[in-house]
Formats: sequence, structure tokens, C-alpha cells
Amino acid sequence: MTFSFPRKSLAKIHLSPWSFIEEQFGSGVELIGQCIILFCQTLYYIARAEIDWREVFRQCYMIGVKSFVVVSVTALFVGFAMSLQIARELVLFGADTAIGGVVSLALVREIGPITAGVIVAGRVGSAISAELTTMMITEQIDALKIMRIDPVQFLVVPRYLAGFLMMPILSIYAMFIGLLAGIMIAHSAANVPPATFLDSVKQTILDRDFFVHFLKAVLNATIVIIFSCAIGLHTRGGAEDVGLATTRSIVWTMTVIFIVNYIVTSLTYAPR
Amino acid sequence: MIRRRKPISPERRAEAGELMIEVKNLSKRFDDRPVLDGLSFTVNAGETLGIIGPSGCGKSTILKLISGLIVPDSGEIIVHSKELGLVFQGSALLNSLTVRENMSLALRSKRLGRKEEEKIIADKLKLVGLGDYMYAFPTQLSGGQQKRTGFARAIANDPKVVLYDEPTTGLDPVMSTVIEDYIIEMADELNPASIVVTHQFSTWQRTADRIILLHAGQIQWQGTPEEALVSDNPYMKQFAHATREGPMLIGEI
Ligand SMILES: Nc1ncnc2c1ncn2[C@@H]1O[C@H](COP(=O)(O)OP(=O)(O)O)[C@@H](O)[C@H]1O
Ligand SMILES: [Mg+2]
Repeated sequence: MTFSFPRKSLAKIHLSPWSFIEEQFGSGVELIGQCIILFCQTLYYIARAEIDWREVFRQCYMIGVKSFVVVSVTALFVGFAMSLQIARELVLFGADTAIGGVVSLALVREIGPITAGVIVAGRVGSAISAELTTMMITEQIDALKIMRIDPVQFLVVPRYLAGFLMMPILSIYAMFIGLLAGIMIAHSAANVPPATFLDSVKQTILDRDFFVHFLKAVLNATIVIIFSCAIGLHTRGGAEDVGLATTRSIVWTMTVIFIVNYIVTSLTYAPR
Repeated sequence: MIRRRKPISPERRAEAGELMIEVKNLSKRFDDRPVLDGLSFTVNAGETLGIIGPSGCGKSTILKLISGLIVPDSGEIIVHSKELGLVFQGSALLNSLTVRENMSLALRSKRLGRKEEEKIIADKLKLVGLGDYMYAFPTQLSGGQQKRTGFARAIANDPKVVLYDEPTTGLDPVMSTVIEDYIIEMADELNPASIVVTHQFSTWQRTADRIILLHAGQIQWQGTPEEALVSDNPYMKQFAHATREGPMLIGEI
């Protein structure tokens, strides 16, 4: 008796780096196309105001409220580490009073949105793609279509709106927690009183910083929800594909968040 | 004593003849592998067609094509009804919603008043013996109860076409008989055109007026369940008597 590999799993082992790159590139282009279409469909339903608000609130709870603890912890420790580095360098230059300004700039412009975005991508994006993939392979999505309910309207629109509402709140919250960490570090490590720290913050932060902060948060929400929904709604197969879809969604959403974050930064803050 | 399908009553015969499902020359490939290869059949109102065949021969694919979930490569499918119910193989209930909410989804397109909807849901759930489970979640139900809920959901808006995908597979013999009885009752009371996909002997024997045997993408035999038992067709003979010897090779299935 001869043993033979199942052909499918063999095909997944790429012997040539080119075929690997080709396949990765191909599936990436396909996914981005699916995301664009899904985003347009989502906006269409939102524009027509065909929204199930009860489901939106339920999703707000799943996406927002349940992320608060992990965002708090992450933002706190990122804030600690970053403030410590900044305080250390500025003390060397005798610029203790500027600590608050530099820390808050970093928080409002970069760290706040990216921390919240990455945490939501890991916690919520993965959960959404696992949930939708499971619904796909157990034919729940087919059942919706038979009942003439569009899965985009029923599943994607409430999740998108909830992400849109909750992500800015989480981002600003992450920023405040980071600021709190900054105040604590500045006080204990550099002997800067909180009042001095906050004065410096007020002098440095501009309205534009908050606008960019909000823009980044909304973009992050769009990336997380649309990518994870698109991956979920286009995965077929069996139980093992749920895990694959989850991984894929985390890799894609985080990567795209970092890239888009840089693009926004370079468009708004590039030195002239 | 197991009850069989009643012979078609004169009234129903009068109504029958109204063509509900027409399938002409239907072909479908997956990844260049032909699954269905030029299939044609029709189902009239009040009639139950059984589609039988080994696993993987494309039975579920036929139902997905008829219900419009996938599109054929060639051929034509005409369904003369707007309302269509599909009982999924794995019941396909939405896990995040209660039984009641699942039922209400099926009625959504009708835009009924709250009272009216409530009444229909209660009636249909009572029909399948789940009147007390309105507010249960699917994960709190047993396999048989989930199947019955899926059944109730599929018939919630009294569809004129009902498709059953292996309604009794994986159930114990008693529950199989219960589900078969529902299918028979549905057919007697609402007169839909039904297709029952199955490979379970009791199910196609009891529920179908007429069966077609599918293998290698084509109809190998068709006739009544009674004729199937005495048929000389080598495929039908092998399937009806569940033997290893015959044209359906083990390796192919
Ligand atoms: N979406 C799909 N993509 C690729 N192959 C599929 C797909 N759906 C079904 N198939 C294949 O088509 C064949 C028929 O499947 P199916 O209709 O589910 O069989 P049955 O219901 O008779 O057991 C199987 O070999 C299955 O692997
Ligand atoms: Mg099947």
C-alpha cells in the first residue's frame, strides 16, 4: 500500500519563493478588492438609514466596553515606558518643564490612536472574523440570504457603526490614561509637579492635533471592521479555517493600521 | 405501524399539475470538476420529489442552485414562487439570536404587525412541539430540537416551495420518524412543491411521491419509491439494497 499526501496540503508548501510571493500578492489584491466593495455596500445602507440601532448598541458593548480594561492596561504601560525615556533625555538638557508637552504630543498624535487601534484589531477584529467565518461554514449566512436578508446590512453595518462610535472614545481614553502615566513618571522620576506638566501640555497641543487624532481613530475603526468582516464573509471550508481567518484578520488589520497611520502622519505633520 | 405518504387526494391532484420548479439541463462544476452534468426535472405543486444518491454526488448543490445561493454554469432553473423555504442540513440557526428572533427573521420581508407575527411564530413552533422554547438560544437546544426549529423557520411564511437537505441524517430513528411525519403533514396541509434530499431509506420511502437517483452528475433512475424496491436498474438496485457490488464504486464515493 502506498501512502500519498493529500494534494491540497502539499500545494500549500511553496518550493519556489516566487510562487509564494505570487500567491500572497494575489490573495492580498483580492482581499483589498473585497474590502472596497464591502465598504461601499456598508455606506450605501448607512446612507439609506437602514440601520438596526438595537444591534448597534449591542455591538458597541462588544467592541467598546469590553475593550476598556485591556486598553487601560496597555496605554498605562506604554505611557510609563515612553514618559520615562522622554523625561530622561529632557532632564539631560535641563528641559524638565517641556516633558508634559512632548509626552502629550506623542500621545495625541501617535500613541493614543495606534494603541487603541491595535488592541481593538486584536480583540475585536479577530472575534468578528471568527464569528463571521463560523456563520459562513455553518450556513447561517446562507440562511440569511434565503430569508432575503442581506448579510452586509444585517451583520456588517451595525459592527461598522459601533466601531465608528467607539474607536474615537477608546483612542481619547487611551490618550488620557497615557497622560496620567506621564504625570506619574514626570512627578516621581523628574520631580516635575503635575501643574507644570499640564501647563506644558496646554501650550503644546493644538486643535489640529485633536482633529488628526479623530481622523486616525475613524480610519482605524474602518480598517478593523471592514477587513475582519470581508475576511469572515469570504472564508469557506471547515472548522480549521476559522483559526486561519482569525490569524489573517489580525495580520492584515494591524499591518494596514500601521501603514495608514504613517500616511496620515506624513500628510499632516511633514516638516515644511 | 409506520405511516406512509397518503395517496394524492382528488382535490390535490386537481391542484397539482401547476408547475412550480423547472430544472432544465443544469450543469455545475467546482474547480473544473463536474458535479452536476445536464440535469433536468420538474416538481409540481403538492408533489414531493425525493433526490437520493451517495454522499458528495451533488444533492446539496442542487438545492443551493434552486434557492439561488449559487449560480449554475449552464442550464435553466425556474421557480414559480416568491416564497421559498430551505431546511438546512445543519439547521443553520443564528446562534446569537433566540428561537423567536430566528423565526422573526424569516417573517421580516412580510412586514407584519407585532401581534400577527407573534401568533404565526407561536403556531409554527407549536406545530413542531417547541412552543415552550421561544426564548431559548439554539445552543441550549438538542440536535433534534435545533432541526425542528430550522424546520419551523423554513415554513414560517408558508412557502409554496420547500426544500429539505438531509432532514433526518444524524437523528435517532424515533426523531427521524417525527421529522418525516412533519414533512408529510406539511405536504398534506400546505400543498407546496417539495424536494427532499436524503440518503436515508425510511425518509425517501415515506415522504416522496417520486424519486430520482443521482450519481456521477446525472439522473440514473427515476420512479416511485415502490418501483425503486423492485427495479432492475443496477444503480437503483445497489442503492436500495445497500450492497457493495454494483456500478457505484467505493473509490468514487
Ligand atoms: N463551494 C464549493 N466549492 C468547491 N467544491 C464544492 C463546493 N460545494 C460543494 N463542492 C463539492 O461538490 C460535491 C458535491 O457536494 P454536495 O452537493 O454537498 O454533495 P451531497 O450533498 O450530495 O453530499 C462534493 O464533492 C463537494 O466537495
Ligand atoms: Mg449534502
